[in-house]
Amino acid sequence: MNCNELRDHYELYAMGLADEPERSEINAHLNRRCEICMQEMTKARQTLALLSGTAPAAAPSPALRRRILASVGGAQRGFGWSPFLAAALGLALFAAVYFGGRERDLARELARVREENRRQNIELTNLSQAFTIITGKDTVMSTFGDSEPKPKGKIFVSPGQGVLLIGGNLPPAPTGKMYEMWIIKDGKPQPAGMFQSTADGSAMHVHRGNTGNMAAVAVTLEDEAGADQPTSTPLFAAPIRTGL
Amino acid sequence: MTIAMLLPILLALHAAEDDTALVARMQRRDPNALAELYDRYGRVTFSLIVRMVRDTGTAEDLVQETFLRVWNRVQGFDAQRGAIGPWLLAVARNRAIDYLRSAGGRDRNALEFDEAAHPALYCDMEKDLFSADKVRRVKSAVEKLSPNQRQVIELAYFEGLSQTEMAERMGQPLGTVKTWVRTALKTLRDELGTAVPA
Repeated sequence: MNCNELRDHYELYAMGLADEPERSEINAHLNRRCEICMQEMTKARQTLALLSGTAPAAAPSPALRRRILASVGGAQRGFGWSPFLAAALGLALFAAVYFGGRERDLARELARVREENRRQNIELTNLSQAFTIITGKDTVMSTFGDSEPKPKGKIFVSPGQGVLLIGGNLPPAPTGKMYEMWIIKDGKPQPAGMFQSTADGSAMHVHRGNTGNMAAVAVTLEDEAGADQPTSTPLFAAPIRTGL
Repeated sequence: MTIAMLLPILLALHAAEDDTALVARMQRRDPNALAELYDRYGRVTFSLIVRMVRDTGTAEDLVQETFLRVWNRVQGFDAQRGAIGPWLLAVARNRAIDYLRSAGGRDRNALEFDEAAHPALYCDMEKDLFSADKVRRVKSAVEKLSPNQRQVIELAYFEGLSQTEMAERMGQPLGTVKTWVRTALKTLRDELGTAVPA
Protein backbone atom coordinates (compact mmCIF):
# COMPACT_ATOMS: atom_id res chain seq x y z
CA MET A 1 0.00 0.00 0.00
CA ASN A 2 1.25 3.48 -0.68
CA CYS A 3 1.28 6.37 1.74
CA ASN A 4 -1.79 7.97 0.24
CA GLU A 5 -3.83 4.84 0.91
CA LEU A 6 -2.69 4.89 4.51
CA ARG A 7 -3.65 8.52 5.00
CA ASP A 8 -6.75 7.85 7.13
CA HIS A 9 -5.10 5.24 9.30
CA TYR A 10 -2.29 7.08 11.08
CA GLU A 11 -4.40 8.23 14.03
CA LEU A 12 -5.95 4.75 14.28
CA TYR A 13 -2.46 3.30 14.33
CA ALA A 14 -1.27 5.76 16.96
CA MET A 15 -4.25 4.88 19.14
CA GLY A 16 -3.69 1.16 18.67
CA LEU A 17 -6.94 0.79 16.71
CA ALA A 18 -5.61 0.11 13.22
CA ASP A 19 -6.83 -3.07 11.51
CA GLU A 20 -4.89 -5.33 9.23
CA PRO A 21 -3.49 -4.93 6.68
CA GLU A 22 -3.09 -1.18 7.33
CA ARG A 23 -1.38 -1.78 10.66
CA SER A 24 1.34 -3.96 9.14
CA GLU A 25 1.70 -1.59 6.20
CA ILE A 26 2.26 1.45 8.39
CA ASN A 27 4.62 -0.55 10.54
CA ALA A 28 6.62 -1.49 7.49
CA HIS A 29 6.73 2.10 6.25
CA LEU A 30 7.95 3.30 9.60
CA ASN A 31 10.55 0.58 9.84
CA ARG A 32 12.06 1.68 6.55
CA ARG A 33 11.85 5.29 7.77
CA CYS A 34 9.36 6.39 5.16
CA GLU A 35 9.52 10.16 5.37
CA ILE A 36 5.84 10.77 4.61
CA CYS A 37 4.63 8.17 7.09
CA MET A 38 6.95 9.41 9.81
CA GLN A 39 5.70 12.93 9.29
CA GLU A 40 2.08 11.82 9.31
CA MET A 41 2.63 9.78 12.44
CA THR A 42 4.10 12.83 14.15
CA LYS A 43 0.93 14.73 13.30
CA ALA A 44 -1.20 11.87 14.57
CA ARG A 45 0.71 11.78 17.85
CA GLN A 46 0.29 15.51 18.20
CA THR A 47 -3.45 15.11 17.79
CA LEU A 48 -3.52 12.46 20.50
CA ALA A 49 -1.31 14.53 22.77
CA LEU A 50 -3.79 17.37 22.51
CA LEU A 51 -6.62 15.04 23.51
CA SER A 52 -4.92 14.51 26.87
CA GLY A 53 -5.69 18.12 27.62
CA THR A 54 -9.41 17.37 27.64
CA ALA A 55 -9.07 15.42 30.89
CA PRO A 56 -10.65 17.31 33.82
CA ALA A 57 -8.18 19.12 36.03
CA ALA A 58 -6.99 17.15 39.05
CA ALA A 59 -4.21 17.71 41.55
CA PRO A 60 -1.98 14.99 43.00
CA SER A 61 -1.07 15.00 46.66
CA PRO A 62 2.05 17.00 47.62
CA ALA A 63 3.59 13.72 48.78
CA LEU A 64 3.76 12.41 45.22
CA ARG A 65 6.52 14.84 44.26
CA ARG A 66 8.58 13.71 47.25
CA ARG A 67 7.97 10.06 46.39
CA ILE A 68 9.15 10.49 42.84
CA LEU A 69 12.25 12.43 43.79
CA ALA A 70 13.05 10.01 46.60
CA SER A 71 12.73 6.98 44.35
CA VAL A 72 15.08 8.50 41.80
CA GLY A 73 17.40 9.56 44.58
CA GLY A 74 17.83 5.92 45.52
CA ALA A 75 19.08 5.12 42.07
CA GLN A 76 21.14 8.21 41.40
CA ARG A 77 24.23 9.21 43.29
CA GLY A 78 24.22 12.72 44.58
CA PHE A 79 20.46 12.96 44.34
CA GLY A 80 19.77 12.35 48.00
CA TRP A 81 17.68 14.07 50.54
CA SER A 82 20.41 16.27 51.95
CA PRO A 83 19.99 19.24 49.60
CA PHE A 84 16.23 19.05 49.91
CA LEU A 85 16.36 18.72 53.67
CA ALA A 86 18.78 21.60 53.95
CA ALA A 87 16.63 23.71 51.67
CA ALA A 88 13.50 22.66 53.51
CA LEU A 89 15.03 23.42 56.89
CA GLY A 90 16.25 26.78 55.66
CA LEU A 91 12.87 27.57 54.25
CA ALA A 92 11.15 26.39 57.42
CA LEU A 93 13.43 28.57 59.56
CA PHE A 94 12.88 31.56 57.33
CA ALA A 95 9.16 30.91 57.29
CA ALA A 96 9.06 30.56 61.08
CA VAL A 97 10.85 33.87 61.59
CA TYR A 98 9.02 35.64 58.82
CA PHE A 99 5.57 34.37 59.58
CA GLY A 100 6.17 34.64 63.32
CA GLY A 101 6.89 38.33 62.87
CA ARG A 102 4.02 38.68 60.47
CA GLU A 103 1.73 36.94 62.92
CA ARG A 104 2.67 39.35 65.70
CA ASP A 105 2.21 42.31 63.38
CA LEU A 106 -1.13 40.99 62.25
CA ALA A 107 -2.21 40.32 65.84
CA ARG A 108 -1.31 43.90 66.80
CA GLU A 109 -3.10 45.26 63.78
CA LEU A 110 -6.11 43.12 64.53
CA ALA A 111 -6.20 44.35 68.13
CA ARG A 112 -5.90 47.96 66.94
CA VAL A 113 -8.71 47.51 64.45
CA ARG A 114 -10.89 45.82 67.04
CA GLU A 115 -10.28 48.65 69.49
CA GLU A 116 -11.02 51.20 66.81
CA ASN A 117 -14.16 49.31 65.91
CA ARG A 118 -15.21 49.13 69.52
CA ARG A 119 -14.60 52.84 69.99
CA GLN A 120 -16.54 53.70 66.87
CA ASN A 121 -19.39 51.48 67.95
CA ILE A 122 -19.52 53.33 71.25
CA GLU A 123 -19.48 56.69 69.48
CA LEU A 124 -22.15 55.54 67.08
CA THR A 125 -24.29 54.32 69.94
CA ASN A 126 -23.78 57.62 71.78
CA LEU A 127 -24.70 59.59 68.69
CA SER A 128 -27.79 57.47 68.20
CA GLN A 129 -28.79 57.99 71.79
CA ALA A 130 -28.05 61.72 71.54
CA PHE A 131 -30.22 61.95 68.47
CA THR A 132 -33.01 60.11 70.25
CA ILE A 133 -32.82 62.53 73.17
CA ILE A 134 -32.61 65.68 71.04
CA THR A 135 -35.57 64.65 68.90
CA GLY A 136 -37.71 63.49 71.82
CA LYS A 137 -41.14 65.12 71.95
CA ASP A 138 -40.77 66.05 75.59
CA THR A 139 -37.12 67.05 75.45
CA VAL A 140 -36.16 70.30 77.14
CA MET A 141 -32.91 72.17 76.69
CA SER A 142 -30.87 74.17 79.13
CA THR A 143 -27.67 76.08 78.68
CA PHE A 144 -24.81 76.62 81.02
CA GLY A 145 -21.78 78.87 81.21
CA ASP A 146 -23.34 81.64 79.15
CA SER A 147 -21.89 84.30 81.36
CA GLU A 148 -18.63 82.60 82.14
CA PRO A 149 -15.52 82.27 80.02
CA LYS A 150 -15.61 78.55 80.41
CA PRO A 151 -16.95 75.91 80.25
CA LYS A 152 -20.19 76.35 78.35
CA GLY A 153 -22.69 74.22 76.47
CA LYS A 154 -26.15 72.74 76.35
CA ILE A 155 -28.06 70.09 78.25
CA PHE A 156 -30.90 68.16 76.61
CA VAL A 157 -33.22 66.22 78.89
CA SER A 158 -35.80 63.75 77.70
CA PRO A 159 -37.58 62.37 80.74
CA GLY A 160 -38.16 59.04 79.04
CA GLN A 161 -34.83 58.71 77.25
CA GLY A 162 -32.08 60.37 79.27
CA VAL A 163 -29.73 63.34 79.40
CA LEU A 164 -27.39 64.65 76.70
CA LEU A 165 -24.59 67.04 77.53
CA ILE A 166 -22.76 68.91 74.78
CA GLY A 167 -20.01 71.09 76.14
CA GLY A 168 -17.13 73.28 75.07
CA ASN A 169 -14.16 74.94 76.72
CA LEU A 170 -13.63 71.84 78.81
CA PRO A 171 -9.90 71.19 78.92
CA PRO A 172 -8.92 67.52 78.90
CA ALA A 173 -8.97 66.19 82.43
CA PRO A 174 -5.51 65.68 84.01
CA THR A 175 -4.03 62.21 84.12
CA GLY A 176 -5.97 60.03 86.54
CA LYS A 177 -8.96 62.31 86.46
CA MET A 178 -12.23 62.35 84.46
CA TYR A 179 -15.32 64.45 84.35
CA GLU A 180 -18.40 63.07 86.08
CA MET A 181 -21.92 64.19 85.40
CA TRP A 182 -24.48 64.43 88.18
CA ILE A 183 -28.24 64.58 88.12
CA ILE A 184 -29.66 66.61 90.96
CA LYS A 185 -32.94 65.27 92.28
CA ASP A 186 -34.58 66.33 95.50
CA GLY A 187 -31.44 68.24 96.35
CA LYS A 188 -29.27 65.11 96.08
CA PRO A 189 -26.71 64.41 93.36
CA GLN A 190 -26.88 61.06 91.59
CA PRO A 191 -23.92 59.86 89.48
CA ALA A 192 -24.72 59.96 85.74
CA GLY A 193 -21.55 58.70 84.13
CA MET A 194 -17.92 59.60 83.47
CA PHE A 195 -16.62 61.28 80.35
CA GLN A 196 -13.54 62.93 78.90
CA SER A 197 -13.21 65.97 76.67
CA THR A 198 -11.23 66.06 73.46
CA ALA A 199 -8.07 68.04 72.83
CA ASP A 200 -10.07 71.01 71.54
CA GLY A 201 -12.11 71.11 74.74
CA SER A 202 -15.36 69.74 73.35
CA ALA A 203 -17.28 66.93 74.99
CA MET A 204 -20.43 64.95 74.53
CA HIS A 205 -21.90 62.66 77.14
CA VAL A 206 -25.10 60.67 77.20
CA HIS A 207 -26.80 59.23 80.24
CA ARG A 208 -29.63 56.95 79.31
CA GLY A 209 -32.59 56.16 81.45
CA ASN A 210 -35.65 57.69 82.99
CA THR A 211 -34.55 60.96 84.49
CA GLY A 212 -37.70 61.58 86.47
CA ASN A 213 -38.21 64.97 88.00
CA MET A 214 -34.66 66.36 88.03
CA ALA A 215 -33.77 69.86 89.09
CA ALA A 216 -30.32 70.31 87.62
CA VAL A 217 -27.32 68.73 85.94
CA ALA A 218 -23.81 69.34 87.24
CA VAL A 219 -20.30 68.27 86.33
CA THR A 220 -17.33 67.78 88.61
CA LEU A 221 -13.75 66.65 88.13
CA GLU A 222 -13.23 63.28 89.85
CA ASP A 223 -10.76 60.43 90.03
CA GLU A 224 -11.11 58.29 86.92
CA ALA A 225 -12.60 55.47 88.98
CA GLY A 226 -15.58 57.70 89.60
CA ALA A 227 -17.26 58.74 92.82
CA ASP A 228 -20.61 58.09 94.47
CA GLN A 229 -20.78 61.66 95.68
CA PRO A 230 -19.10 64.79 94.31
CA THR A 231 -15.71 65.36 95.90
CA SER A 232 -15.00 68.71 94.28
CA THR A 233 -16.74 71.91 93.49
CA PRO A 234 -18.92 71.63 90.37
CA LEU A 235 -17.35 73.12 87.27
CA PHE A 236 -20.82 74.14 86.29
CA ALA A 237 -24.44 73.37 87.07
CA ALA A 238 -27.39 73.82 84.74
CA PRO A 239 -30.92 74.03 86.09
CA ILE A 240 -33.44 71.91 84.25
CA ARG A 241 -36.85 73.38 83.73
CA THR A 242 -38.97 70.44 82.65
CA GLY A 243 -42.39 71.19 81.25
CA LEU A 244 -41.19 74.31 79.42
CA MET B 1 -15.70 20.43 28.55
CA THR B 2 -14.74 23.81 29.94
CA ILE B 3 -11.64 25.95 29.94
CA ALA B 4 -11.18 24.89 33.56
CA MET B 5 -10.81 21.33 32.35
CA LEU B 6 -8.08 22.45 30.00
CA LEU B 7 -6.30 24.52 32.59
CA PRO B 8 -3.70 21.97 33.69
CA ILE B 9 -2.29 21.63 30.25
CA LEU B 10 -2.09 25.39 29.91
CA LEU B 11 -0.42 25.79 33.25
CA ALA B 12 1.93 22.89 32.90
CA LEU B 13 3.02 23.32 29.36
CA HIS B 14 3.35 27.05 28.93
CA ALA B 15 7.09 26.83 29.36
CA ALA B 16 7.68 24.59 26.37
CA GLU B 17 10.45 26.81 25.09
CA ASP B 18 12.55 25.71 28.06
CA ASP B 19 12.02 22.02 27.47
CA THR B 20 15.12 21.64 25.36
CA ALA B 21 17.35 22.87 28.16
CA LEU B 22 15.44 20.79 30.68
CA VAL B 23 15.92 17.59 28.69
CA ALA B 24 19.61 18.35 28.26
CA ARG B 25 19.97 18.72 32.02
CA MET B 26 18.16 15.43 32.61
CA GLN B 27 20.52 13.74 30.20
CA ARG B 28 23.41 15.11 32.25
CA ARG B 29 21.66 13.50 35.24
CA ASP B 30 21.03 16.83 36.89
CA PRO B 31 18.76 15.76 39.74
CA ASN B 32 16.94 19.08 39.93
CA ALA B 33 15.82 18.67 36.35
CA LEU B 34 13.45 15.85 37.26
CA ALA B 35 11.92 18.02 39.97
CA GLU B 36 11.40 20.76 37.40
CA LEU B 37 9.94 18.29 34.94
CA TYR B 38 7.48 17.20 37.57
CA ASP B 39 6.60 20.78 38.48
CA ARG B 40 5.95 21.50 34.82
CA TYR B 41 4.06 18.35 33.84
CA GLY B 42 3.01 16.62 37.07
CA ARG B 43 -0.49 18.03 37.23
CA VAL B 44 -1.39 17.42 33.62
CA THR B 45 0.01 13.91 33.79
CA PHE B 46 -1.94 13.17 36.94
CA SER B 47 -5.10 14.68 35.42
CA LEU B 48 -4.80 12.40 32.40
CA ILE B 49 -4.13 9.25 34.41
CA VAL B 50 -6.76 9.82 37.06
CA ARG B 51 -9.29 10.39 34.26
CA MET B 52 -8.34 7.00 32.88
CA VAL B 53 -8.08 4.85 36.02
CA ARG B 54 -10.52 6.87 38.17
CA ASP B 55 -8.62 6.20 41.38
CA THR B 56 -6.26 8.77 42.86
CA GLY B 57 -4.03 6.27 44.67
CA THR B 58 -3.52 4.17 41.57
CA ALA B 59 -3.06 7.29 39.49
CA GLU B 60 -0.26 8.51 41.76
CA ASP B 61 1.51 5.15 41.46
CA LEU B 62 1.26 5.36 37.69
CA VAL B 63 2.47 8.98 37.61
CA GLN B 64 5.49 7.86 39.61
CA GLU B 65 6.15 5.03 37.16
CA THR B 66 5.78 7.45 34.26
CA PHE B 67 8.35 9.93 35.53
CA LEU B 68 10.80 7.19 36.45
CA ARG B 69 10.45 5.67 33.02
CA VAL B 70 11.10 9.00 31.35
CA TRP B 71 14.08 9.63 33.65
CA ASN B 72 15.54 6.25 32.79
CA ARG B 73 15.01 6.57 29.04
CA VAL B 74 15.71 10.22 28.49
CA GLN B 75 19.10 9.48 26.95
CA GLY B 76 17.32 8.35 23.80
CA PHE B 77 15.54 11.66 23.49
CA ASP B 78 16.79 14.30 21.06
CA ALA B 79 16.91 17.42 23.18
CA GLN B 80 17.17 19.67 20.15
CA ARG B 81 14.29 18.17 18.20
CA GLY B 82 12.15 16.49 20.80
CA ALA B 83 8.97 17.61 22.55
CA ILE B 84 9.11 16.00 25.95
CA GLY B 85 5.54 16.92 26.93
CA PRO B 86 3.79 14.77 24.32
CA TRP B 87 6.22 11.95 24.96
CA LEU B 88 5.65 12.09 28.70
CA LEU B 89 1.88 12.06 28.19
CA ALA B 90 2.14 9.14 25.78
CA VAL B 91 4.13 7.22 28.37
CA ALA B 92 1.54 8.11 30.98
CA ARG B 93 -1.32 6.99 28.78
CA ASN B 94 0.39 3.70 27.99
CA ARG B 95 1.07 3.04 31.66
CA ALA B 96 -2.59 3.68 32.45
CA ILE B 97 -3.84 1.50 29.59
CA ASP B 98 -1.54 -1.31 30.74
CA TYR B 99 -3.02 -0.99 34.20
CA LEU B 100 -6.62 -0.94 32.94
CA ARG B 101 -6.05 -3.97 30.75
CA SER B 102 -4.29 -5.85 33.50
CA ALA B 103 -6.97 -5.00 36.06
CA GLY B 104 -9.72 -5.90 33.61
CA GLY B 105 -8.12 -9.13 32.50
CA ARG B 106 -7.75 -7.81 28.97
CA ASP B 107 -4.84 -8.39 26.62
CA ARG B 108 -2.44 -5.60 25.80
CA ASN B 109 -3.75 -3.54 22.91
CA ALA B 110 -1.99 -4.02 19.62
CA LEU B 111 0.22 -0.95 19.68
CA GLU B 112 3.05 -1.55 17.32
CA PHE B 113 5.38 0.76 19.17
CA ASP B 114 6.03 0.97 22.83
CA GLU B 115 5.98 4.75 23.05
CA ALA B 116 8.15 4.77 26.14
CA ALA B 117 10.82 2.82 24.35
CA HIS B 118 10.88 5.18 21.39
CA PRO B 119 11.19 8.78 22.57
CA ALA B 120 12.64 9.62 19.16
CA LEU B 121 9.10 9.28 17.80
CA TYR B 122 8.34 12.57 19.54
CA CYS B 123 10.92 14.53 17.64
CA ASP B 124 9.90 17.32 15.30
CA MET B 125 6.70 18.12 17.08
CA GLU B 126 5.54 21.68 17.38
CA LYS B 127 7.20 23.51 20.24
CA ASP B 128 3.99 25.38 20.96
CA LEU B 129 1.83 22.30 20.72
CA PHE B 130 0.05 23.19 23.92
CA SER B 131 -0.41 26.88 23.31
CA ALA B 132 -3.63 28.51 24.46
CA ASP B 133 -4.73 28.71 20.85
CA LYS B 134 -4.24 24.97 20.35
CA VAL B 135 -6.11 24.19 23.53
CA ARG B 136 -9.03 26.28 22.36
CA ARG B 137 -8.95 24.53 19.02
CA VAL B 138 -8.99 21.04 20.54
CA LYS B 139 -11.91 22.09 22.71
CA SER B 140 -13.74 23.40 19.69
CA ALA B 141 -12.89 20.30 17.66
CA VAL B 142 -14.16 17.89 20.30
CA GLU B 143 -17.36 19.89 20.64
CA LYS B 144 -17.99 19.42 16.94
CA LEU B 145 -18.10 15.65 17.32
CA SER B 146 -21.44 13.94 17.64
CA PRO B 147 -22.15 12.29 21.02
CA ASN B 148 -21.41 8.84 19.60
CA GLN B 149 -18.19 10.03 17.98
CA ARG B 150 -17.11 11.71 21.19
CA GLN B 151 -17.88 8.56 23.17
CA VAL B 152 -15.79 6.28 20.97
CA ILE B 153 -12.86 8.69 21.10
CA GLU B 154 -13.07 8.79 24.89
CA LEU B 155 -13.39 5.02 25.15
CA ALA B 156 -10.40 4.54 22.88
CA TYR B 157 -8.21 7.30 24.25
CA PHE B 158 -9.04 7.26 27.96
CA GLU B 159 -9.94 3.59 28.43
CA GLY B 160 -7.80 1.99 25.75
CA LEU B 161 -10.65 -0.08 24.32
CA SER B 162 -10.30 -1.73 20.93
CA GLN B 163 -13.00 -1.13 18.36
CA THR B 164 -14.43 -4.60 19.05
CA GLU B 165 -14.54 -3.85 22.76
CA MET B 166 -16.24 -0.53 22.09
CA ALA B 167 -18.87 -2.24 19.93
CA GLU B 168 -19.56 -4.67 22.77
CA ARG B 169 -19.64 -1.93 25.37
CA MET B 170 -21.98 0.27 23.34
CA GLY B 171 -24.10 -2.58 21.96
CA GLN B 172 -23.50 -1.38 18.42
CA PRO B 173 -22.34 -3.19 15.28
CA LEU B 174 -18.59 -3.16 14.82
CA GLY B 175 -18.92 -1.48 11.45
CA THR B 176 -20.89 1.37 12.98
CA VAL B 177 -18.28 1.90 15.66
CA LYS B 178 -15.50 1.89 13.11
CA THR B 179 -17.32 4.53 11.10
CA TRP B 180 -17.74 6.71 14.19
CA VAL B 181 -14.07 6.34 15.08
CA ARG B 182 -12.81 7.16 11.59
CA THR B 183 -15.14 10.11 11.20
CA ALA B 184 -14.22 11.46 14.61
CA LEU B 185 -10.48 11.15 13.99
CA LYS B 186 -10.79 12.76 10.58
CA THR B 187 -12.74 15.64 12.11
CA LEU B 188 -10.11 16.11 14.78
CA ARG B 189 -7.30 15.96 12.24
CA ASP B 190 -9.00 18.47 9.97
CA GLU B 191 -9.94 20.82 12.78
CA LEU B 192 -6.63 20.71 14.58
CA GLY B 193 -4.53 20.66 11.44
CA THR B 194 -1.43 19.83 13.44
CA ALA B 195 1.43 20.95 11.30
CA VAL B 196 4.82 19.35 11.46
CA PRO B 197 7.84 21.62 11.25
CA ALA B 198 9.81 21.11 8.08
